Amino acid sequence: MNASAGLNSAGLDLAGIPERIQSEVQRAIQRSIKGVEYISTSGPSLGSTPKDILSVRGTMNLYHYRPVADEIYRVPILIVMATTNRGYILDMVPGQSFIEFLLKRGYDVYMLDWSAPKPEEKRLGMEDYVLDFIPDCVRQVQRDSGESDVTVIGYCFGGVLSLLYGSIFADGPMKNLICFTTPVDFREMKLFQNFSDRRYFDVDHLVDSIGNVPPEMILSSFEMLRPASRAASQVQLWENIWNDEFVKSYRMFDRWATDTLPLAGEYFRTITKDLMWDNKLYNDTMSVGGRKADISKIKVPILHAVAEHDHIVPYDAAKPLIAKIGSADKEEVILKGGHVSLVAGANAIKRLWPKLDSWLCERST
Amino acid sequence: MADKSNDPVALWQNMIGEMEKGFNAFANRAMASPEFSKVVNQVGGVTAGAQKQLGDLMEKYLLSMNLPSRAQMVSMAERLASIEGQLNEIKALLHQVHGNPAAPGGAGSAAPRPPRTRRPPPAGGEQK
Repeated sequence: MNASAGLNSAGLDLAGIPERIQSEVQRAIQRSIKGVEYISTSGPSLGSTPKDILSVRGTMNLYHYRPVADEIYRVPILIVMATTNRGYILDMVPGQSFIEFLLKRGYDVYMLDWSAPKPEEKRLGMEDYVLDFIPDCVRQVQRDSGESDVTVIGYCFGGVLSLLYGSIFADGPMKNLICFTTPVDFREMKLFQNFSDRRYFDVDHLVDSIGNVPPEMILSSFEMLRPASRAASQVQLWENIWNDEFVKSYRMFDRWATDTLPLAGEYFRTITKDLMWDNKLYNDTMSVGGRKADISKIKVPILHAVAEHDHIVPYDAAKPLIAKIGSADKEEVILKGGHVSLVAGANAIKRLWPKLDSWLCERST
Repeated sequence: MADKSNDPVALWQNMIGEMEKGFNAFANRAMASPEFSKVVNQVGGVTAGAQKQLGDLMEKYLLSMNLPSRAQMVSMAERLASIEGQLNEIKALLHQVHGNPAAPGGAGSAAPRPPRTRRPPPAGGEQK
């Protein structure tokens, strides 16, 4: 036994054991108290950065966040959110809000967020999103800001919609494009490919019988990618329930992840047939409402941020974007993290947000 | 304090992490098979059809009980959303009326907007 270091022959720190037991007992007591608190209280208020609603039309919501800087960049930003999830992932709580970060850095920020499409909106198709909702929001941003140029930021499938919009309206007014974890080669989304295998998945039957695709189905398809993770995260929550910061963060992300939106039936049918089955975006054969959407037509500066450990959009699915885009000023940045931690949370604050600011500030004057 | 290699709590946490990774990898391999896709989609297809039939049946039942159906509740929610939307429009119009149309940002902004004159910080400079 190494008496001076308090270690036995097996290398166990015997002197530290009472201290460790005491700490674990204290944590066990805290777990019981905080566990009751957890059940009896609601989570933190999310998406609370002051904003004005500029437009609400069915599933489409356009917000303008109130500027906080004394002087702002000339070019406003329009964020296009993914159609499966709510936009407050980018506006969690003060200090952990991407929107707040942008406002403090002097950007003028608008967001195209989605609410659940209603049963009668089941006929909304890709053309409604790409040829109507996004152009309408861009026009409103131009009118509200008084500027003709707009920077578009698309997250996940919001990035796909932004690419389709940018390729059809290649002559403007989009000045810069930023995509977060945006898939282009849908063959590389291996598990989604298998779930939607055209030999067995009858998308017509599904959409014709239920209309909009229910959020439970979307959520379970995401959760099936990592089936053990929900149970493991519950164990982690119980272990750390004494830690207020951990619990706060867990509640924010858990609430957002389970707050999945339904997808309009026709829109889902197009995603399945054109993107999952025929991989048209990658094969340069995509068209929306009869208008060809070829991403090589996009010539504006583009930044594509991808996550090293993204299980929803694997890197191989996102990689071809930069190669295929027509812009001369283009950059891909691969950052540590997953599909969500790339854009929100402690990792994003350190990695993505400063990178985005340094890239965008020079292109926003 | 014990180091990570002999701390039982750290070992437990590590074991949970490894089990999660192992199970996810195993399940992903199983889910990548065409058989999995076939079974899941057969079950899913049957469920979707059954769900629709059950929905139709429930609607008839609720009607006979003189209770509102889900569709009617959704329709009421839509009407409420539409009223909220109209209130938002009225709010925006009021902002427009009381705002300063000459301010940067133009009509529709209640408060004057900051000027759009910001420049990027000099290379290596700190942002405000």
